[in-house]
Amino acid sequence: MMTFIRPRLRKPVGIALGGTLYAAAWVVHGGSGWLFAIIAGISTIAFAISWYVRGGRDDDEDALAGSHPDERQQLLSQRSWALAGKIAMLAAFAGVVAAVAARAGWWWPFAAIFAVTGFGYLLGLSNYGVGEEDPADDANDGQKAPSPIS
Amino acid sequence: MQNRVREQRTQRGLSQAELAAALGVSRQTVISIEGGRYLPSLPLAFAIARFFDLTVDKMFDPDEEEAGR
Repeated sequence: MMTFIRPRLRKPVGIALGGTLYAAAWVVHGGSGWLFAIIAGISTIAFAISWYVRGGRDDDEDALAGSHPDERQQLLSQRSWALAGKIAMLAAFAGVVAAVAARAGWWWPFAAIFAVTGFGYLLGLSNYGVGEEDPADDANDGQKAPSPIS
Repeated sequence: MQNRVREQRTQRGLSQAELAAALGVSRQTVISIEGGRYLPSLPLAFAIARFFDLTVDKMFDPDEEEAGR
């Protein structure tokens, strides 16, 4: 996805799309939501420009911002996302525990995040090949291999 | 894991940026490999070894205490 866009523009375009959706949500919200929409729009433009500028610099974070990481920088990014996922899952679990202990009704958003992150982990295991049984490299169908000595 | 990247690079009078450009990686990655903080993937290890006309086992050695001995 987005491979037709120049690498340096990919993240700014993603930010712009996300910001536009957020601003549109405030417009749909009605009332004084247009004010928040304008603030969101201006912030989005500033953020997207800053990411575009960063993408041209010579740094690990800036290579990721510019969507042109090498293998080590990709690994850094993957590890960081994995850590973010773990923290999100732990925070969601803590939220569920706190809500249950307080007999509060706001336990379910935490439970939903916990379930989604857990599902994401299982999806990752499935996507990246865990559980796939490759046939063993036994061409002799269970018969004892001939000894090289005999 | 020890390696001879720094030794080979300086012997050829290359900067880290020049080596990085030749290998298609970032300067920070060359610095990390030279410092032993990052183990390159097999394709990159082969690319490094080929660049210096060495074999991978001559370039990267898990047993040596110091590179270049």
